[in-house]
Amino acid sequence: MSETITRRLPAWALRTNGAVVLIFLYAPIILLVVFSFSASRIPGQWGGFTSEWYATLFDDSRLQRTISVSVKVALVSTLLATVLGTMSALALERFKFRGRKVFDALLYLPIIIPDVTMAVMMLMFFSQAFDLLDSVFGIGLSKGFATIVVSHVAFNIAFVSVVVRARIAGMDATLEQAASDLYATRWQAFRFVTLPLIAPGVLGGALLAITLSLDDVVVTQFVAGPGSTTLPVYVFSLIRKGVTPTINAVSVIMLVASLILVAGSVGLQRANASRGRQQLRTPGGTS
Amino acid sequence: MNEPLGLQQQMSAAVSLRGISKLFDDVTAVDNVDLDIADGEFFALLGPSGCGKTTTLRMIAGLELPSAGSLQIFGEEVGSLPPNKRPVNTVFQNYALFPHMSVADNVAFGLRMRKVPKSEISTRVQEAISLVRMTGMEGRRPNQLSGGQQQRVALARALVNRPKVLLLDEPLAALDLKLRQEMQFELKQLQREVGITFVFVTHDQEEALALSDRIGVMNDGRLLQVGTPEEMYDAPVDRFVADFIGRSNFLKGVLESSDVVCLSNGQRINVPVVATVAVGDDVQVSLRPERVMICQLDAAPSGVAKLSGVVDTETFLGNSVVYRVALDWMTIEVETDHRPDVARHAVGEQVDVWWRDDAVAVVKP
Repeated sequence: MSETITRRLPAWALRTNGAVVLIFLYAPIILLVVFSFSASRIPGQWGGFTSEWYATLFDDSRLQRTISVSVKVALVSTLLATVLGTMSALALERFKFRGRKVFDALLYLPIIIPDVTMAVMMLMFFSQAFDLLDSVFGIGLSKGFATIVVSHVAFNIAFVSVVVRARIAGMDATLEQAASDLYATRWQAFRFVTLPLIAPGVLGGALLAITLSLDDVVVTQFVAGPGSTTLPVYVFSLIRKGVTPTINAVSVIMLVASLILVAGSVGLQRANASRGRQQLRTPGGTS
Repeated sequence: MNEPLGLQQQMSAAVSLRGISKLFDDVTAVDNVDLDIADGEFFALLGPSGCGKTTTLRMIAGLELPSAGSLQIFGEEVGSLPPNKRPVNTVFQNYALFPHMSVADNVAFGLRMRKVPKSEISTRVQEAISLVRMTGMEGRRPNQLSGGQQQRVALARALVNRPKVLLLDEPLAALDLKLRQEMQFELKQLQREVGITFVFVTHDQEEALALSDRIGVMNDGRLLQVGTPEEMYDAPVDRFVADFIGRSNFLKGVLESSDVVCLSNGQRINVPVVATVAVGDDVQVSLRPERVMICQLDAAPSGVAKLSGVVDTETFLGNSVVYRVALDWMTIEVETDHRPDVARHAVGEQVDVWWRDDAVAVVKP
């Protein structure tokens, strides 16, 4: 008897642990979704089913504006960060230049620096830069869409370049040499050989960047100006005003958007992985 | 009529290196190399790994730029041109086939980059693919091919561009022995068919001897000797060359006059005249094991160089027998045929070893 118990106990403990972890992770999400349909004005109380909060949400022009700002910021900053991040990854992996190690270390700083520090840094930078531009050229600039985009690009370059670098490191550099030996210019070698081979890394980096940009509250809150607020910042400000069930509805919409992005990224990785496995499975000869 | 001949030789050189050096940071990879490779020649750069042979090839391809010197391809200075502007193509050691393209797209790559008309591309690609006997495989990806097939595609991808010079970096190193021998034969046949100058890099002396019209041996960044396979084997000028190509005994001595060497045991022997060493220099006499004869004591013919010693070891190798004969000042290796009419010698037996004067080569120590 005692023997079967000692044998069963670990299995039971593992199963319980798994269940607890799952509850811990997903119970809040389920609660959020459920209460976003609650008719009660108090967010944590069930008052019967309603879709009223979603309706008010779609009537709220301010909210729609923040969503549109969020999406625009995410798209523009992702595009810029992906191009710049891929370029820096190529520079670090393929070229030797003075100050390469320093550049390498500096590039990773945004990943390590706390968000708040980053936010204060960006804020300081913009106010100093704007003062300078104003006093020297007389150009009056203020915080807004552009400053949010620049800040998001600043921290996203690091993430994109990490992801892309991993891909470039796994690619044989002689392929680029072979391309240039076959009359390709540097640009053609990049366009026809390097880019197609690192494309999965570039796409992965871009998805990471878009997710981080859509998510960011801290940095954006510091550098956003009046009239250009992103969705997460707006939600955060709603909480300070007092929680209404509208927040639940907004959160559910953000959750669904994130799920779609994550599903897309996972799907892409799967497609790549299965193609990679196929390549491994086919007999590759002696080399 | 010497001058015009010299000029003509220079004009017909496919690749011409003058004082080419390459430094990586402080390390000299290639040291002041002068070399002319003739049009239509199958030329091998032979040497141990790290001797600078691959760097030399990469400089001809444009993948490395020389630190000093002049590099010409058919009389045109190309030393500072990028690889895409040079009339050469390369077969890389790992083939470097583009994994995301089919065989046909790989082969067509160079023509597309040069904006050759589409109709011409497809006929030339077909020709190149059939030249390397890969017809029917056009749609395959490189990872669906065996090592030998990848090798052929790499050859087709380079040859389709009709380069003036084809460069091959250890083209057969990645193949197993049987396939390597097959491909050696095919490579030689292919070179005869297309008539293009082939320059290939190898560390395998047998491969170099079997394939090439001429060989250049490199060590420590320096080009030690250039010659036909026979010249390299029969008349090496440097101890390293004699040792790297085939096996050899080395007898120390001093060149007393143009054709006499005084060995370190005091004995004088006749040697062929060579220009690479001066009278009075310390030299070594290279003596191939199969060119040394072994016989009973005092049975050597008169008028030949001979040394007396004792058989130290005897090794049977099937088609030959190798003896190590201990002299009182060194040990000499002797290889004899294994035939019923060749007498065997037992370990401990007193013997003479002897050779004809033209069996030796004087080399720099």
